[in-house]
Amino acid sequence: MKRFAPFLLLVILILFPLLVRDDYHQHLMILVLMWVVIGAGWNVIAGYTGQVSFGDAAFFGTGAYTAGLFATKLSISPWWAMAAGGVAAMAVAFPFGWICFRLRGAYFALATLALNEVMRHIATIWEDLTGGMVGILIIQTFVSKVPYYYIALALAVAAVIGVQAVMGSKWGYYFVSIREDQDAAESLGIDTHLYKMISLNIAAFLTGMAGSLYMNYMGFIDPEVVFSLHDISIMAILVGIVGGVGTVYGPVVGAFIMVAVHEFFRTGFFGFFKGLAALTGSQAITTLAKYVMQAHVLGFGILVVVVILVLPNGIVGDWKKITGWLPLGGGRRSAA
Amino acid sequence: MEVFLQTLVAGILKGGLYGLIGIGMTLIMGVMGIINLAHGQLMMVGMYITFVCFHYLGIDPYFALLVSMPALFLLGVAIQKYTLNPLIEVESILPENQVLMTVGIGMVLTEVARFIFSSDYKSVQTSYSSSSFFIGEISFSLALTIAFFIAVAFTLFMFWFLLRTDLGRSIRATAQDKDAALLMGVNAQRITILTFGIGSALVAAAGTLLMPIYYLFPDIGGPFTRKAFVITILGGLGSTVGAIFGGLTLGLAEAFGATYIGMAFDDMIGLVIFILVLIFLPSGFKRITKV
Amino acid sequence: MMRKLRKITFILFLVGILGVFLASGALAEGIKVGIILPLTGKLAKFGEIEKKSFDLAFEEINAAGGVNGKRIDPIIEDTTGKPDVGRSAIEKLIARDKVVMVGGGYSSSVTWATIAVAQQRKVPFLVNTGSADKITEQGWEYIFRLNPPVSEYPKGFASFLQNVATDVKTVAILHENTLFGQSGSKKFKKQCEKSLGLDVIMKEGYEAGAVDFKPLLVKVKSKKPDLVYMVSYIMDAAMLIRQSKELNLNPKLFVGGAAGFTLPEFQKSTGAAGEYIFSATLWTPSVPYPGAKRYFDKFVARYGTPTEYHGAEAYAAAYVIADALKRAKSLTPRAVRDALAETDMMTVFGPVKFISYGKKTQQNRLPTFLVQWLNGKLETVWPKEVSTAKYVYPFPKWNER
Repeated sequence: MKRFAPFLLLVILILFPLLVRDDYHQHLMILVLMWVVIGAGWNVIAGYTGQVSFGDAAFFGTGAYTAGLFATKLSISPWWAMAAGGVAAMAVAFPFGWICFRLRGAYFALATLALNEVMRHIATIWEDLTGGMVGILIIQTFVSKVPYYYIALALAVAAVIGVQAVMGSKWGYYFVSIREDQDAAESLGIDTHLYKMISLNIAAFLTGMAGSLYMNYMGFIDPEVVFSLHDISIMAILVGIVGGVGTVYGPVVGAFIMVAVHEFFRTGFFGFFKGLAALTGSQAITTLAKYVMQAHVLGFGILVVVVILVLPNGIVGDWKKITGWLPLGGGRRSAA
Repeated sequence: MEVFLQTLVAGILKGGLYGLIGIGMTLIMGVMGIINLAHGQLMMVGMYITFVCFHYLGIDPYFALLVSMPALFLLGVAIQKYTLNPLIEVESILPENQVLMTVGIGMVLTEVARFIFSSDYKSVQTSYSSSSFFIGEISFSLALTIAFFIAVAFTLFMFWFLLRTDLGRSIRATAQDKDAALLMGVNAQRITILTFGIGSALVAAAGTLLMPIYYLFPDIGGPFTRKAFVITILGGLGSTVGAIFGGLTLGLAEAFGATYIGMAFDDMIGLVIFILVLIFLPSGFKRITKV
Repeated sequence: MMRKLRKITFILFLVGILGVFLASGALAEGIKVGIILPLTGKLAKFGEIEKKSFDLAFEEINAAGGVNGKRIDPIIEDTTGKPDVGRSAIEKLIARDKVVMVGGGYSSSVTWATIAVAQQRKVPFLVNTGSADKITEQGWEYIFRLNPPVSEYPKGFASFLQNVATDVKTVAILHENTLFGQSGSKKFKKQCEKSLGLDVIMKEGYEAGAVDFKPLLVKVKSKKPDLVYMVSYIMDAAMLIRQSKELNLNPKLFVGGAAGFTLPEFQKSTGAAGEYIFSATLWTPSVPYPGAKRYFDKFVARYGTPTEYHGAEAYAAAYVIADALKRAKSLTPRAVRDALAETDMMTVFGPVKFISYGKKTQQNRLPTFLVQWLNGKLETVWPKEVSTAKYVYPFPKWNER
């Protein structure tokens, strides 16, 4: 069962647009897949290498702007920028790493956060290049969601398999050894600076690609959207920790849950409360529904607090714990 | 010349308040070795308390200090006791779980505030909110000047508290070396709880003092959290004097940057200084001041 | 045994939830119109005002018999102010709720992300707030805009400069670094230099939310401009004015470029310092359109808080939607589009008619006004034909009041 689960999941994902023909759900799935890519990237640098980055948006935004500028300044199809966005993000990652890797732990986190903000300011102020807050606007290539879906799926699958391959290689061992004990790793002759840089570049490449995909798919970006500390950097962390830090399928689970939870709250439990209010005709429930819908970020915050307290290794990491609580299953299954 | 002097005054007055924001953060960071990314959000809570005091109870912001500080002290104690300390025992892959927890707490505080007060902008309009006095051609905002002196008074008090009282000495000892402090009979757990409480109360004071001249909405915390860690890193961890220097430096840098480079770079200047200090002077001004 | 019981209750619980979902699907029978607004997040304040105005208008329309006897059922979706969420919202409205048209949008970034979907799916979208010029410059036949684009906001003020404040020669422009601030100030600068013959001696952006504007204002003071033009949101606007007073900065004119300077909070947080400040604006309760004041009073009576131009845009949009639905030959998106294109009516926000001019298509063209705070009240002072009070010009110096 355990061995076939990924393949089963893949088959379901490939068939998804054929089974569910409604644009709304396809759109949500594209977002999930995009977050899988970002989460996988964050997981490499933070989950495996132990360098908790608060600056993912710097890479995401760079990728998105690369695609946008390709289209507006060079008149090249923004699809070419899918790869270029990843490379541009890596170009940002070098100075980023050079500055931040001198620092450890919490300091590293702060430095990445600060650089994230610097990038956002640059994109805002440099109006001649980026258009400032007016943003960049391109016309999407496809009307249908299906091509975007498969591109996102391909990217997500490549990201997960790629990360798995890297983690199975020599690099992977070095990354984990840096996470576990940097000084010990160094004394064993591992060039920690180099491997942290490699790890960061993998993360940047993946996140940058996701950014380019976002530009292609959404057709509009501005600095507040793609360099957002809250909506990108912290969301990436949440995808990582909710899913499971340092696990291959953690970002997949995390992305799905975060997008679903967000939509769940936004629509008032998918119309659950509205239905309940209509069934009972109660004014109190209508009011309650309104409050629930308003509280979706609060729901997020509480989810984070609870997950860190109760499931410090995320859903995949602490899967046994979860199955132990559920009345169904009874703890026989283990981590996927 | 007038432009220069006015900028200088603006920078120093603002820097005093920044210092007060920084002291709370520096204590927390020094003692616990974690970054409190909910610091600005705690300040936001303090500001809302001030707003409620003024608006519904008619208490002047300066007297509201007596409400907001104890309230935030208790809130800080509760946060440390029930959410951060339990994490020390929880086994997890990432040591930064406490930092991530503060992010979650910040989100919860912001959204609870939005729930209660909605996203509307609130302000406290006192009779002195936009009054000023002039020395020569240079204008001093009355409220900001008062805030500056109260902030300095708090800072001096903290200085005395840390140096001369037993509790203060225990806090400093814990900040310097937790294990050694434990061996000397300091209850480190209790100290971290108290420190978080004191840090929260101090940032609440800063928020309250800012209220007559500034405004308030639930998302106001984020930028101040960022300023707080810039100040703390500038000053060096756990250093009270450093926090004052850090605050003044940031205040002056922002003011002069705004005048001579451009107001759009206001935030960026702080962040760039922050990065430069991280690279070239990793222990901040503490290295120079030694306190 | 216990285990089995728990299993059964768990399954029953799931079935119960499913039942409620199914019930929720089988609701609503009127004409479905989608409205997307930011109801949470940073922009929630204005999203909420628009939602209340939409609610108010649709209730009135339905109470008056709806559209040819049918109710309008607005389905209001929250965008949280983020483009990707806005897109989720509009996909849901079109694919699942099968709405005949969509309105709202609010911020330009969300508006853009959503109108692209509407155009591709061929569902008409009536934009009522998003002000980026590009929105109606694509030639998209399903997109209509009720409000003027940001570049036209200072139109009314320009004529004031040409006719009254003719001794103004130098200008300082301050703007927030947002879409609204950056594009608004750029257009105004061009206008000053090209058509008004004014000298722009300073143009500077700032990050919204600054604690202290004094360094910026001191610089303005040292350059002694005749006119200080500011594109700012409420609280920055209030801070700028209060600190100008503290610094005793005295140009001949303080003018706000719409947005923050006309809102009730501005007056509340500046107090007496807000007096005599001018602002360009699209709408105030005193504009000469039928029902404008009545809408304002109704809003205040119903919700206990004042409304402003965003609300008026939403309220007017609701009436335009109802009008188009009434005239549509059938209730299909295509027919509603055709009906919208022929709109020619009066609303609280002014006359609405979607025309093409310049690069723009299906854009409503409206005059803009100049207002001034006089005795704590916002009075329309220009154009003269519609003014409610006489302007005070030049600006009385702070220290001589």
